[in-house]
Formats: sequence, structure tokens, C-alpha cells
Amino acid sequence: MEELSRNIVEALGLNPFWEQVFYALAIIVVAVVVFMAALTIAGLLTYLERRVAGRIQSRVGPNRVGPLGLLQWLADGLKLVMKEDLIPACADRPMFRLAPYAVVVGVFAAFVSVPFGQLLIAADLNVGIIYLLAITSLVSVGVLMSGWASNNKWSLLGGIRSAAQIVSYEVPSALSILSVVLLAGTLSMQGIIQAQGGQEYHAEFWARGGWPWNWFIFHNPFAFIAFFLYFTAAVAEGNRTPFDLPEAESELVSGYNTEYSGMRFAGFFLGEFANIYLMSAVATTLFFGGWQIPGILPEEQASSWSLQLMGLLIFVFKAAIGCFVVIWLRWTLPRLRVDQLMGLCYKYLVPFAFICLGGNAVYILLIKAGSTFDWIVHGAMTLFGFALVVYFFVRVTHHIRLVKDRVDFDILSRGTKKPFDPAVQTRRYGRHRKGARALEITGQQGKEIG
Amino acid sequence: MGALSSYFSAVGRTIATLGDGLAVTFSYLFRKPVTLQYPDRTVEPLISTLPERSRGILEIDIDVCTGCTMCAKQCPIDCIHVEVVKDPETNQRMLTRFDIDIAKCMFCGLCVESCPASGLRHSHEFEGAMSDVARLMLHFVDKPLPVAKPPKKDEPVQTKPKGSIVREMLRDPWARTRKSKPKAEECGDIG
Amino acid sequence: MIEPTDNNPQRSELVLNMGPHHPSTHGVLRFVVYTDGEIMRRAQPDIGYLHRGIEKIAENKTYPGYMPFTDRINYLEAMFCNQAYAIAIEKILGITPPERAEFLRVIACELNRIASHQVTLGCIAMDLGAFTPFVYLLREREKINDMMEALCGNRLTHNYMRIGGVSADLDDTWLGNLEGFLDHFELILEEFTSLIVYNEILVKRLADVAVICAADAVGYGLVGPNLRASGVNWDCRRDLGYSVYPQLEFDVPLGRGERGTVGDCFERFVVRVEEMKQSCRILRQCLRKLPDGEIQAKVPKMIKAPKAEVYSCVEGARGELGVYVVADGTTKPYRVKWRTGSFSAMSIVEAISRGLMIADLVAVIATLDVIAPETDR
Repeated sequence: MEELSRNIVEALGLNPFWEQVFYALAIIVVAVVVFMAALTIAGLLTYLERRVAGRIQSRVGPNRVGPLGLLQWLADGLKLVMKEDLIPACADRPMFRLAPYAVVVGVFAAFVSVPFGQLLIAADLNVGIIYLLAITSLVSVGVLMSGWASNNKWSLLGGIRSAAQIVSYEVPSALSILSVVLLAGTLSMQGIIQAQGGQEYHAEFWARGGWPWNWFIFHNPFAFIAFFLYFTAAVAEGNRTPFDLPEAESELVSGYNTEYSGMRFAGFFLGEFANIYLMSAVATTLFFGGWQIPGILPEEQASSWSLQLMGLLIFVFKAAIGCFVVIWLRWTLPRLRVDQLMGLCYKYLVPFAFICLGGNAVYILLIKAGSTFDWIVHGAMTLFGFALVVYFFVRVTHHIRLVKDRVDFDILSRGTKKPFDPAVQTRRYGRHRKGARALEITGQQGKEIG
Repeated sequence: MGALSSYFSAVGRTIATLGDGLAVTFSYLFRKPVTLQYPDRTVEPLISTLPERSRGILEIDIDVCTGCTMCAKQCPIDCIHVEVVKDPETNQRMLTRFDIDIAKCMFCGLCVESCPASGLRHSHEFEGAMSDVARLMLHFVDKPLPVAKPPKKDEPVQTKPKGSIVREMLRDPWARTRKSKPKAEECGDIG
Repeated sequence: MIEPTDNNPQRSELVLNMGPHHPSTHGVLRFVVYTDGEIMRRAQPDIGYLHRGIEKIAENKTYPGYMPFTDRINYLEAMFCNQAYAIAIEKILGITPPERAEFLRVIACELNRIASHQVTLGCIAMDLGAFTPFVYLLREREKINDMMEALCGNRLTHNYMRIGGVSADLDDTWLGNLEGFLDHFELILEEFTSLIVYNEILVKRLADVAVICAADAVGYGLVGPNLRASGVNWDCRRDLGYSVYPQLEFDVPLGRGERGTVGDCFERFVVRVEEMKQSCRILRQCLRKLPDGEIQAKVPKMIKAPKAEVYSCVEGARGELGVYVVADGTTKPYRVKWRTGSFSAMSIVEAISRGLMIADLVAVIATLDVIAPETDR
């Protein structure tokens, strides 16, 4: 961007002072674009969540606003914006107002270093992953602030729970990320992606680019476990079921955001959903080969726009699957208790994370990257992973057959569409509604049904 | 060793049970939803799917009413108001009032069981939202009319089709109520 | 802000008002919770928000006219309240209902028991954070509601039973539907088991939490599944043998301490699952044994009960549901007193909640199956 602004200034023959101005402008534009993209993603995720939850629960989910209900999130957002802005009487007003911003900033600022594509990244920081870990910690500050400022005991409990939870789960999360950093040898997000299939020894077609056996999740057994540790810790950091104790609906009413409504609530809400995408995107980057296309080296990809687009789609698809898994977990699992949550972190996740870190280090030391044994391990892990998926689907079909249900692939479930019957509408909603107008148009008399 | 094995068996159990639970919920993505998209996307009007005995809003076919007031006596919450007076000229018992307070009715069905002429019954109508609670007081008698003769035992009574009477009364929920306030006696015990 | 209850900073407590409007108190119910951070020192139940005076209403209603009000005692087990009241009045009048009517009552009651347990189990899962099992069970309950509507006309407040019989007969189609439902539901129970019952998180949340020993359970007057989860072998259906239950074969599931201790929350959860299976078994037997005949005994049109005092009880979904009726020779009862399972379950909450965490209180209320309208009446 610096180069770009310098070129513009030189072309226009302006004072070097303007270089700084153009640079600042460019930063603002990029920031707005990233913010808008993140907002849209978060909004669409709320739609996805409701839709998936609906299907999981034998329901349909939102399907009225727009085609397939796709605009539901816009309608909801509009509703939240228009709602009355309520602040409890004895709340700590400045803190109360500030808290949602901390959450929103914490999550959305992290989008800056999310690599959507090879060239589509706002800032490829050389400490990208550390930046992500650092900036998302701002969320816990916001949550704690809102819990305190609401002057509500439930909120306070929620805020305290959240602070304890996020601080604890940073440890296994960071440790399992470190495993990947060891394997990749870099902290930069793009560098980590490139390391999964873009190294010198990835020369053959079957070894080039984003084949599953190049992904870090299938790199070795320790990395495989590290992924699950990271994912668990990330779900916990994102306050999602089974770790949604800060907003445990049945215990703390709504936890730290009990007193929030309208736009401020929307801030928390969007922050939560943007966070889901964020953790899926990070998981995709660290463990699933990011935007790499199977059989194509990053250098080839950089030269073609269509390959770039394909890379973007691959990245978004992988991240969407991650989001789906998070949503699916939420609608399946019960919630842990607060002591069990800490126990899980310190008794299980942290020791395992240390083992993974050590295991990965030993693996790198003992086995030369690109050696035959290395490839055998990759292949075996990939086969193991696919075997797990296959076994899972066997269980799924078993459950469908168990209750003698029929398989139905109408996943979008448009619902039963009936032709509009003005007579029915008139009888149900009265004459001055849609039904009456339709009657006038068709000239029909309301006929009875029954 | 026991502690270690219980540690790892807990991990294994967690993965196995959680995984199986996840398989169940995942399998529901490929099954048909059971939602009935009431009111406008049902396969057929919901009212026609109700079972025969379904207890909806009460109605009386006033032409077969014998004016025995059994229903009013049986009603545990007094939501049926029946008035029968003897016409001094013709010496005929006249039905002057038959009101059912739907806002108060608890759909227990005791009145229906007691009706000797089977003119009182539960229709299948259930969409009874009104713009004014006073309009939920259904008046079945417009002007005084003579009561019907009690039917003989096992004699079938010809009545209007079920639901046709009350549907007409609940027809237009958005219509304005009368300009003047309804009189107290018209509202019964609503208060 | 938050003030300690006394000025001694060493003993400061956080007082939380859980309810009357709280997502997991199932109706309007209030607990005053004294906590030390997340750990509760005391949880005092405060009941009465749903008091509707159902016992007093009886004094102004005729004997048959009171029947619809019994539906409203507990919206989840209307049939049992119907049955308890009907049996009480039949005892006073000395009427025996025809055998078919008794079988119809048993069929309706066992269906109602399944429906009630479905809500309970679903709510336990939901209070622990898993929303989906609740929806699955309510979906199945909807089928029971549909059958109830076809049988007696209403889905929730059935008002099915009459003094000396039942209000409506059922036909072969209905019985076919019931059989189909049972075939389906037993499979759904299996699915439910693999979905949530042995889910490690749920087990960890419930096992060894709020253990009630057998002596305490009897002492506090717990009844039904709560009592049996503590290992006390008592079931009115088997031990008092009312209605046609002596003709039917069924087991009484007891707490076995499968994953924790006998009498913990998990046992109360599992006992209910097992009870649903037993109810299915009873229903299947009823389908085979259902005799032909009348459904209503001869009862005078205007019931005038002789001077008498009776107590009758049935094994409801929340245990022994008793009604004590005092008749004074008029057409209206002199006094009706209900004895409900939720009320006694509520009394033990304060004793067992000491030292638990706030999240456990939710599990305790849910597994004790406290229903506010039944507590307050």
C-alpha cells in the first residue's frame, strides 16, 4: 500500500506529504472493506446457524424473508438497530457503552490477518498468528466489562466466568498453535499455508499443493491431536456450547449480555458469530491447507486470476465446514459445569497440548521432511482420518435406519407451497389485509372451507 | 496404574458418546422436517385435519334448542346464559337469550354431554381472535323465538352442519365494534 | 451494587434471586440463593406464585363439575388428576366402573405418563444446555397429543374421565395408531439413549450430584420416580393395586447407581427413561387385554354424596398423587385436598442444595421434576 500511494503521488507530481494522506486513506478503505466483509459473514452465519439448527431439530428454520429466508439476518439486524436503546438505571454508563465496542473490535480487528486467498489478505503480518491470539483477548475484556457495568448479578457471574474461561483456554490454544508453528517454521499466516504443500520437496504432482496429505492435520499423529485440542479450546474461547457458560441460558438467564438490547446486543451477537468464522478460518489456515489447490503450487496459483478465485472458494468452503461443525456441536451437546470446564482445560487439554508440542518437535528432529517415512506417516494419517469420517457416516445411516426413517436430501427444505387462496386469507386475517386486495383483483367471492 | 487407565478411559468414553450423539443430530439433516407451516403453507386447511371429537369453539343450533337450560346448569364456570320466558299471549315458551362467553369457556365439554337435543356442540373452529373481548360473547338469539319440542328417544335430530353457525359469527375479526359501548347485561360477567 | 448480607467481610454472601421469571424454573417459581461465588450456601424455595385456589374452587362446584378443574392442577398429568378424583368420588358413592372403562383409563394414563416424562427428560437436557433432545421428545409428544385429541377432544386439559367411567370410547383405528406409535417410540427411545442419556458431559453433570439417601427420601416425603431413584421400592400401581394394574405385568425401575451413587440426579434421569419403557409394555398388554363392554357405570344425574371422607391416590408421573375428599351430604364437596409430588420434592431442595454450584441447582430442580402449578395448586 505504501508503494501504491507513493506511485500515485509521483504520478500526480504532488508534495511527498500527500503520500501519507493517500496511505491513510488506503488504510481506511481497507478497514471498511474488511469490516463490511466480516459483518456480512457474521450475518450469514446467524442465518446458517438458525437453518442448521432447524434441520437438526426436525424443523425448517427461517424461510420467509427473501429466497429461502436468506435475507432473514438483514431483517433481524434492521430490527435490532431500530430497537430502543436501554441502559439500566444504576449501570456504569460509560463502561456499559464501551463494552460492546471492545468485543467488536477484538473480533473484527483479527480479520485483518485472515488469509481469504493468496493475495486477499489485508495485512500479512510476519507475526500473524501471534497478532490473532493477542487481539482476540480483547473480547474477554469487553465481556468482563459488560458483566460488571450491567449492575446485574447474573451478568457479573457471566463476566467472571468468561474471563476465567478465556484466560485458561488461551493456554492449550496457544500451545497447539505452537505445534503448527514448529512444523511451518513461520508465524505468518500465508507462510503457514505455503508450508502445507508449497515446499521444495513438494515437486511431484501428487505431492504438490493442497492435497489432504499435505495438510498439517495429517502431518503426524501429534498434529492430528493438536487440531482437536485447538478446536476445543477455540470453541471454549468463543463462548460456544458446550462451553457457553458465560451466557448459559438456563443458569445465568443470558449471562453478561442480559441487560443489553438493540444495537449493543447486536454488537455482542455479531462478535460471537464473527468469532466462529475467525476460528474456523484459523483452523483452515493452520491445519487444512488454507487456499491451496490440490496439484498446483502457490507460485502457479499466484499467476492466474481464475486459480486465485478457486483458492478463495476453497478457503471459504473449508471455513464454512468449520462453522457448520461449531453450530452442530452447539445443537447437540449439553453444557459443562464451571469446575468441570476448568478441569477439562488443566487436566486434559494442557497436558495433551504439551505432549503434542514435544511430539511434534521430536518428529521434526528425527524425521527428515520429504523422506519416504515422512510420506508414509502422512498417508497413514490421511487414511485414518478418512476412515473416521466413513465410520461416522456408517453411524449416521445406522441412526436413520434405526427409526425406520427415510432419507430426504431436500436439505434446503422449501416447505409445502400452497397456491394463494384469497378466501382462506380473508377469513383468517380479515378483509383489509392481503386477502382483501387479492379478492378485489380476482373478483372472487370468499368461499368457505372446512 | 488404575488412575491412569481411568483417565484414558474417560477420554475414550467422552469421544465415543459425544461422537454418537453428533451422528444422531447429523442424521437429522437428511430427514424430513415435521413442521406444519401454519397457517399459510399447510397441505390442507388445518381445520379439516382435526379429529372428529376435537373440542373447538362452542355453538348451538338454536332451531333445535328445547330451552331446557341443562347446559347452563352443567357449566362449571357459568359461561352459558340461557333465558326462556313464557309468552303471555300464546302461552308458548320463548327463547329470549342464548349467549356463550367464548372468552370464559374452558372447553371441558360437560355442556355438550348434557344437551338432550344434541344442538349444542363443539365446532372445529379455533381461530377466534377478536379485536374486542366483548365480541367474544356470542349471541345466538337475535329475536325471541319459540323453543323446539324435545326429541323422542333415539330420534335423530336434523341440525345445521357443524361449525357453520359459529364461523359466520367469528367471520370478520377486524370489523369495528359498535360505536356505543356494549351494555353491561350484554357482556355478561366480563365486567 | 452487590451488598453482603451482613457487615462481616469474612462471611459475605451474594444473594441471587433465581426467579420468579427465570428460564429454568419451569413456570413461576423463585429461589433465594445465597452463594459464595459459584458455590451455593443455601437455596430457599419460595412458592405460591401460581396459586389458583383449586382446592377452594371445589367447594363451590358440583362433583362432576369439578372434574375440568383437576386438569389444571398439573398441565402435564391431567389424566392422573382426573383419575385420582374420579376414584375418590367412586369410593364415596360405592360405584365400580366397568372393566373396559378401567382399561381405557389405564391406557390414557400410561400415555400421559409417557408424555409427561418426555417433557421432563427433555427439560433436564435443555436445562443442562442441550436443546435438541427436548425438541425430539416434544415432537413425539405431539403424536400423543394428537391421539389424546382423537380420543377425548383436547390435547392438554383432557377432562376425559367421568365419575363411574370415561367420557368417550375408542375404536380399532385408534388402537392401531397406538400400536404404531409404540413401535415407533421404542425406537426413538433407543435413539434418545445414544443421543444424550450416556453422553459423558450429561453424566458428569448429573452423576453424584445432590445425592438423596433412601432415609431422606422417605423422610421428606418424596414420591414416584424421585423416591425410586433413591432405591426405595414403592409404586402405588403395584403395591396398592388400584384399577386394573394387578392384571398387568410390569417392572418398577429402581436407582442402581449406574454411573454414580444411588439417589443422585443421574439416577432420577435414568429411572424416568426406564419408566417410559415400562409404560410402553403396559400399553401393549392393554391392547391385548382390552375387553368389550360399557364405558360408563350408572350414575345418578345429580350426584349427592353421602357423608364420608376418603383418600384416594394414583401413581402419577410425579409419583403418588393423592386427593382427600370430605363429603357432607350435599351436591358439593365440603373440602378437597390434593397431595402432589412436586410439593414434597420442593421441600428437599433446600436441604440438598447446600454446597452445590449454581449450575447444579438447575439440574436438581429439573431432575426432581418440580412443576410450579402442581406445587402451588
